[in-house]
Amino acid sequence: MNKPILTLLCITSAIFFIQTAHAVEQGNIIPDCKLNSLSDAKTTTLKQFQGKVLYIDFWASWCGPCAKSFPFLNTLHDALKGDDFQIIGINLDENPSDAQDFLAKYPASFSVVSDVQEQCAKQFAVQAMPSSYLVDRNGIIRHIHLGFRADEAGELKVLVEKLVAGH
Amino acid sequence: MPRKLMLTLIATAVSASCLPGCTPLSPWQRGTLAKPSMALEPTPMQDILSEHTHGSREAASAGSSSSGGGCGCY
Amino acid sequence: MAVTDRVRYFLKNGFLPSPSKRKPAPTVSPSLQALTVAALALPGLMLPAAHAAEEDEVNFQYSHYQEGKRKLYNVKNTRNPIEVESVVGKARISLTDRIKFAFNYIQDTWSGATPVTTSPLAANGNRAILADTPSGKTITTGASPYIYGQMLLNKKFVPIVVDQQGKAIGRTFLPVHVLSMASPETRKQGDFTLGYEWDEAAVNIGGGISIENDYESRFGNVNGRWDFNQKLTTLNLGLSYTNSDTAARIDHDAEIYLVKNAYDQQIEKSGNINVLRGNRQDWGTSLGLTQVLNKTALVETSIGYTRSTGYMENPYKATTIVFADPKTLGTDFSNPNAIVGQVRAFLEQRPDERNQVSVGGRYIQHIGLLDAALHLDYRFFHDDWGINAHTFEADWVQPIASTWTVTPKVRYYSQDAADFYYPYIIAKRAYSSTNPNKNLPANFSSDQRLSAFGALSGGVAISKKLSKAVSVEAGFEYYTHAGSLKMDGGGEGRYSDFNYYQANASLNVNLAALNSGGSSSSGHAHDHHGHHSGSHGPAGVMFGHMLNKTNEVMVGYRYMYNRQAGEMLHGTHPASDQAIRKNACLTGYTKNCRVTPTEMDMHMHMLDIMYAPTDWLNLMLMPQFVDMEMNMRMLDGLTYNPFQDHVHSDGDHSAHATGGVGDTGMYALFKLFDKEGHHVHATLGLSAPTGDVDIKLRPMHHKDGGYIHYGMQLGSGTWDFKPSVTYTGKLNQWSWGAQFNATTRLQNKNGSGYALGDIFQGTAWGSYHFTPWLSASVRGVYTDQADIDGKFNPVQGVSNNVLVKNVNPGSKANYSTGPMDYTGSYGGRYWDIGFGLNFTVPSGDLQGNSLGVEWLQPVQDDVNGYQLDREGALSATWSVMF
Repeated sequence: MNKPILTLLCITSAIFFIQTAHAVEQGNIIPDCKLNSLSDAKTTTLKQFQGKVLYIDFWASWCGPCAKSFPFLNTLHDALKGDDFQIIGINLDENPSDAQDFLAKYPASFSVVSDVQEQCAKQFAVQAMPSSYLVDRNGIIRHIHLGFRADEAGELKVLVEKLVAGH
Repeated sequence: MPRKLMLTLIATAVSASCLPGCTPLSPWQRGTLAKPSMALEPTPMQDILSEHTHGSREAASAGSSSSGGGCGCY
Repeated sequence: MAVTDRVRYFLKNGFLPSPSKRKPAPTVSPSLQALTVAALALPGLMLPAAHAAEEDEVNFQYSHYQEGKRKLYNVKNTRNPIEVESVVGKARISLTDRIKFAFNYIQDTWSGATPVTTSPLAANGNRAILADTPSGKTITTGASPYIYGQMLLNKKFVPIVVDQQGKAIGRTFLPVHVLSMASPETRKQGDFTLGYEWDEAAVNIGGGISIENDYESRFGNVNGRWDFNQKLTTLNLGLSYTNSDTAARIDHDAEIYLVKNAYDQQIEKSGNINVLRGNRQDWGTSLGLTQVLNKTALVETSIGYTRSTGYMENPYKATTIVFADPKTLGTDFSNPNAIVGQVRAFLEQRPDERNQVSVGGRYIQHIGLLDAALHLDYRFFHDDWGINAHTFEADWVQPIASTWTVTPKVRYYSQDAADFYYPYIIAKRAYSSTNPNKNLPANFSSDQRLSAFGALSGGVAISKKLSKAVSVEAGFEYYTHAGSLKMDGGGEGRYSDFNYYQANASLNVNLAALNSGGSSSSGHAHDHHGHHSGSHGPAGVMFGHMLNKTNEVMVGYRYMYNRQAGEMLHGTHPASDQAIRKNACLTGYTKNCRVTPTEMDMHMHMLDIMYAPTDWLNLMLMPQFVDMEMNMRMLDGLTYNPFQDHVHSDGDHSAHATGGVGDTGMYALFKLFDKEGHHVHATLGLSAPTGDVDIKLRPMHHKDGGYIHYGMQLGSGTWDFKPSVTYTGKLNQWSWGAQFNATTRLQNKNGSGYALGDIFQGTAWGSYHFTPWLSASVRGVYTDQADIDGKFNPVQGVSNNVLVKNVNPGSKANYSTGPMDYTGSYGGRYWDIGFGLNFTVPSGDLQGNSLGVEWLQPVQDDVNGYQLDREGALSATWSVMF
């Protein structure tokens, strides 16, 4: 008699599992999490980018849409680069060498760092791969975009330009 | 007899599949699952051909194929 | 069973000693036994719910299926076993980011001997075909199916095996398959799927149609996918509907030997032929759940239910029922202790309804040490026909050295017999022609597919990634079907064992990878394709353009369709039936033609794979697959002779068909001149004779048929040299070109004794670009082809029980010929005009893909001998450069 109830509970929990970590939402301030460099042992934190409009992109070498997003990010970087705007590609590969291989095939003109210790990923509570967070100058998250599709890139560009213009 | 077997199978399948509801995996930890060898159908061209042939020589119809797993990208 | 010694005797000797001549007893005509087994696999229900690949892709696959010979015990099996040649083309493209479109095309060409029924060994269902040699000996050249007659049984109703003189030599229940040859038949299927993707869900709808001469199936399906739990859990739901029509032609000669009273309502007359019609509907639904277990494993389970109603029989299969009336005991004077049984073949009868359930699961585990993945599958099937089946499968996916993947597979399958499966039935009463089904089970079938057996198969798939966009794959599977392999025992006897192997090769092009990569890639790609957008000639021109950059690759697919129909021509003028009869068949039995072609369709599927090792040299490989179909009729003024003529009957439009791999071309293109819009290149090519040229007609009316005519063979059979020179020019929106090409045979004759005529062709065209990505062309072509050199080698065969030196059409033994059997009626001089359209995808993910189509309209034909008028040719191409 207990078996059906147990099964039902288990199914329900499986299907409606809720992320218990504190999910970072629109309107929150970005966490100050530690990041590593891809090539050497240097560490850095997100705080150092304070004051700029940020486009934080969580990506990995095994993620197909991430490969598709790189040309867009490169174009965005070339168009808006300067002191005010920064694209940060946070790589979540367990093996940073996979990321290096990926970058050899799909070069990035924007800065790429590694989060191999999963610090930022957990603090941001990344919901999907890839995830983009648009952050304004005050460190407040203004837009979260899950996934990447070429048709939607235009929207993101408009949002970024708005933030850079100071809104 | 087959009825009992069926029910047991379904029960096992369902309970087995909900075990993980209790051990979560984060979206960025799917690197291994994203490998082509881990796809539900790693050799789709072969599978379609052999299902087609087996279906013409055997009475059982092939099961329908599902999707899922993989990188879980949006 | 006491008579295994007798069985061994037959096995050892192959055929019975000192046979006596006797009148040929009725056989089942081969045309009755045409195969529709592929069709009965219900194409619609087997479409994958949602294809695993997420990226835009194009795939081409060729496969060959070959069965081993079946055991006939008392006679040599000389028939070719079942063989299938297939080609598959699939494409999946994203119309927008979220709208996906996929279409698939598959065609199978089947031929070979198939069991039409199973009868007791004692009934002698496979009878030796006897022939007298010129030296006076009588030999056996094969076996022919017999489904009607008499046999002996003992008082306990055990069948008694007798020798040629009628003397009893043993008793056994042993059944044996009765085989009949089927003429090649081609099945074609096309289907599409349109899907929309949200972030966490997707919906697909699709439909398709499968067509062959006697079976047509239309299907539609819809399925949805929902992701939960951050995509760790996926739910799939599918629904499908299939509606199929059978229109099986029952051969005029065999009809009287088949009992088909149960189908009186479904048989219609169509000319001289009776057609058995049936309709069937299948509703299917499935539910699946995929769950990620941890970083390295996932599991999938699914359950499916299908309900089928209607006509589910195989119209070409019969169940043998032996009516052993106890009252006939002693009526055969040479065997006073035997009952005389009447052997009858009833068209099989299956229930009108079938409910099937299948449930199963799959477990996938990554093996870190070897970076491999283990896939384990189990599936259980149950239906209300009494069949329970288990399928176990294991695959080991092993990537090797970043570009190779080797996947060994093993599979075990076991099924019960259907409740109404009988190898044959012995009814202990007299046969009643007024009520044949009296006291018989309502349903009976001896189709192997419904028997109890187990099957074990093993195979391997190897794939190699050639570049980021192109990969090739090859696979092989060996499968053995045996009653002894059934789980828990109780399977069919050894007589029913068979095995097969299947080999395939495929080419996969990942369209998404072509336009991805690098910050400058999109700009680079645009320039690159802008440069080439004007350089595609009309679709019907081969070797019309070259790749200009080192290491560039081009993959293309070309479909060509050629049709001949209408009047018969002689030279440039129409030919009358009388002229054809008197002049077109000058050698041969009566020195007159009896038949003439009415239409001929030829379809060619070609793959072009081009690579530029330097910027002035391109290498190209062109494999192709051909299928042809042709119809004939009697010439006016002649009466159809059912025992001699090759047309199946008066007014019958049954076709001859062939299909399979064609010749393979290998080419080198050399750039001679390229400046200021003008370009000249020369091509040197070699065509390898990979297409069969020894296809023979199946035996008919107790005669072996000899070679099918020259035009239906799949290739030239000779190594051919194919040089050409091409010039193209371009100015603003105009482009133009010209080409001279030739085909010369490097051998005087091929393996079958002849060589096709040499070909010389000149063509010139002009195109106009409405936009940089859309152009239209007009073209003129002149082709000169010589007639055939040599002729078919003589084929020894049996004609009316005599072994003759040559049974080819056109020989003394072959009464029925038409102009197409004569080498003088091939080749000619042809003028055509072509109208074409070319389209190149200008931007987006599919940038660089080109499509072209061209219709060639014949203007003037000056044919050698007597040939069918041409209606035209269509070429359609797709290609992508990277």
